[in-house]
Amino acid sequence: MYSNDRLRRAQSSRVIGTPFCNKSQNGNPVLQMQGIVKEFAGTRALDEVDFDVRPGEVHALIGENGAGKSTLMNVLAGRFDDYDGLITFDGRQVRITSPRQARDMGIAVIYQELSVLPNFTVAENIMLGDEKAGRWTRKLDRASINAGARKIIEYLRFDLDPDEPVEKLSKARQCLVEIAGALRRNIRSRPGKGWPSRSQILVFDEPTASLGSEDIDKLFGVIKDLRDKGLAMVYISHRLAELPIIADRVTVLRDGRTVGTRAITDCQISELTRMMLGHDLAEAFPAKSPQAEKTNRPGKVILKVDGLSRPGVFENISFELREGEILGIAGLVGSGRSEIVRAIFGADDARGTVEFRGKPIIGRSPSLCCAVGIGMVPENRKREGNITGRPVSENLTISILERLSGTLGFQSPRNLTAHATRMIEQMKIDPPRPQMDIQDLSGGNQQKVIVGRWLAAESKVIIFDEPTQGIDVGTKSQMYRLIIDLARQGRAIILISSELIEITKLADRILVIRDGRLVREMMGPETDEDALFAECVGKDKSE
Amino acid sequence: MSNDTKKPYAQRIRDALSFRKLQQASILLLLVGLCAFASYRSPTFFTWTNLVDNLLTNAAALGVIAIGMTFVMIAGGFDLSVASTTVVCSVVLVLTMDALSPYGAAVAIPAALLLTALVGIVLGAANGVLIAYVGVNPFVVTLSTMLVFRGLALILTGGGQAKQVADIPLRNQFNWVYDAQLPLFGQSCQVSMPIVIFLVTFCLGIYLLRFTRFGHYIFAIGGNEEAAWLAGVNTHRIKAATYVLCGFTCAVAAAIFVAMTATAQAESHVGKELVVIASVIVGGTPLGGGSGGLTSTLIGLLLLRVIDNLLTQFSVGAEYRKVVTGMIIVIVVTIDVLAKKRSRK
Repeated sequence: MYSNDRLRRAQSSRVIGTPFCNKSQNGNPVLQMQGIVKEFAGTRALDEVDFDVRPGEVHALIGENGAGKSTLMNVLAGRFDDYDGLITFDGRQVRITSPRQARDMGIAVIYQELSVLPNFTVAENIMLGDEKAGRWTRKLDRASINAGARKIIEYLRFDLDPDEPVEKLSKARQCLVEIAGALRRNIRSRPGKGWPSRSQILVFDEPTASLGSEDIDKLFGVIKDLRDKGLAMVYISHRLAELPIIADRVTVLRDGRTVGTRAITDCQISELTRMMLGHDLAEAFPAKSPQAEKTNRPGKVILKVDGLSRPGVFENISFELREGEILGIAGLVGSGRSEIVRAIFGADDARGTVEFRGKPIIGRSPSLCCAVGIGMVPENRKREGNITGRPVSENLTISILERLSGTLGFQSPRNLTAHATRMIEQMKIDPPRPQMDIQDLSGGNQQKVIVGRWLAAESKVIIFDEPTQGIDVGTKSQMYRLIIDLARQGRAIILISSELIEITKLADRILVIRDGRLVREMMGPETDEDALFAECVGKDKSE
Repeated sequence: MSNDTKKPYAQRIRDALSFRKLQQASILLLLVGLCAFASYRSPTFFTWTNLVDNLLTNAAALGVIAIGMTFVMIAGGFDLSVASTTVVCSVVLVLTMDALSPYGAAVAIPAALLLTALVGIVLGAANGVLIAYVGVNPFVVTLSTMLVFRGLALILTGGGQAKQVADIPLRNQFNWVYDAQLPLFGQSCQVSMPIVIFLVTFCLGIYLLRFTRFGHYIFAIGGNEEAAWLAGVNTHRIKAATYVLCGFTCAVAAAIFVAMTATAQAESHVGKELVVIASVIVGGTPLGGGSGGLTSTLIGLLLLRVIDNLLTQFSVGAEYRKVVTGMIIVIVVTIDVLAKKRSRK
């Protein structure tokens, strides 16, 4: 599609460089992606997506899980060589086919899982790949590593000590190390001249997901500083609340398509939410008749959490859960909500007690909680939910194998399959084939299998952590109905969701978690999405 | 946060004496303590004959291999085939010396040594290419090559017969590699040739690992291979080079072994790879790589050898020596895991 000549010119662009550019002086995009298409095994992950970034701006890219933000940035980072569409970088058309090529061109991605070398010092990390060595002795020039790193740190005005080992740094400072390393080439190639050159773009992939609020402020300071220097940046995020603080423009993706691009100054959070989710989600909820609510009074206390604490993650969480109740836990990503339920389920250690029907569960572990009658549908289906490579039947029955096994632990395959078939019918798993590998099912059906696992175990308390992440609206609707039905049957439900509308529509009672603390308890019917959002963010930040 | 200079003095001391460093120091302390205990209980332990002639000379050949292994393991790799590689090298050395003996020692010995070194390098490269370029798991690759190389040695010796360096003049001219004594510390305190070979390799190794870009990148790969690759480091080539280096050290060790016994036997050195790996791990190089070093490997090797020597002196059977050695490895690695858990909190 592209001639070699063109490609070569494109690749050499970084060598030639372009004159210093000032954000006020030049509004032309550094990067333009047009009609990007990327398919995975027949499904379109990206469908004609347009995206551009100008120098001296932070362009936020938002969307639900599976909307295609990461795929789009992976195209930019050279992780795929089989995409379609045009990429214009620094005024030249390019085709990016390898991560190395992307990096050499000046495209740097700072991933959520930082890729720093923990065993190296700050200076060694920044200068990695650019070390000088003696001609004959091959001796490594450590002095030049330190001097070079010092210069870059000074230039960027980062608060870093070049000699400190990176593993001792906080996550935020490790992030600074990675930024400095990514920008090193650009700074060094233009000594004494203006910086940055146009051929540089920095992508942040959910950088704040693993940072505390203090670190986030620090990082934002750095990003703003880089923006004022004229650097073009892309900012991927889940957290809508951050956008007014950090972004200049926002592009929303949904189901692999561009929904729209807005300047941050003329859009509302609720509008962005609607753009992210689509208009149809509110209609996916089963109507709650007032009568049903009256007849469905929660029963006895089944679970009592008292003083649950994990230093630095969450503090002193106490609440009660009743039979037939849906308890929503709301909070921003990283507020500690998932960690709290993981601790209740015994997946993480924590101080404090959890009582089940008045008796404390001592030495909580997932296997013990499972035996007592607590189940959890974990947040990360692929990593924590599915037993990949095994059939649906085994995935459905893994938690009740003890009950299904006969003398001497004998597992009758027929018994197992029969049980699985019953669950598949009940859960309407499609296609209804117990022998199918779970990873060949769609996301929604995988989720049904995981939920079915706990129904099979007849758990009395079921924790749903982001149960509708990455599944289609139809299945979402089924999931909502299922959660309500489970509560009607008298089971107690804990529901965590980033989609606040789910919590407001489904939960009887809502706990708001902010920075690891239980800040408020609200009744479900009293609140709406925007009010709950304000609570999650904290009032001072929402303005 | 403040810079290092602004930190209170106590904090700086605490940083310097991190748990990890304490753990390294504790192994050294254990070694010193054991030696003190041994020389107190056994009059023959702290003698030049026992320590240098016996203990160190015997440990030298394995020590040379351990140097190569340290390079491989710091880069996050693993090599189970070292014992087999050494055996192939020994057999090749003996066979070529025999075949070339008509040309006289001046030709036969250097030529044979050269060929042996080449064989070591080629076998190491075979591992390296499969692991670094093809991307097969190092455990699987070296487990297979361990068997393949052992079989190769059996084939070369015609089904496992011991091959002697038959030509007597040649034999006498080669065993200096083992027998030569250098009066480095006066006539009564001579140092044997294997120790000298080890020390030379050790110094070269230190230079390579600590002072060159190659060594720097080995640590980088052990720390985070993907990040190193993205930063422009040719990780494939460097990983492969560590295995080549390891193969070369096996060839050096083979020369020492052949000089010691004047024979090569395809069935010898079974299980030695585990001793080598054990000394690297006990020294403090973790299985995932990224940290460690040659000095720690040396300490680890000495610790294992001293314990072995001590137990021999107290005439403890070989079966108990194995139990003790195994337990030492587990204890040291357990301490390491606990230390990491603690430092993460």
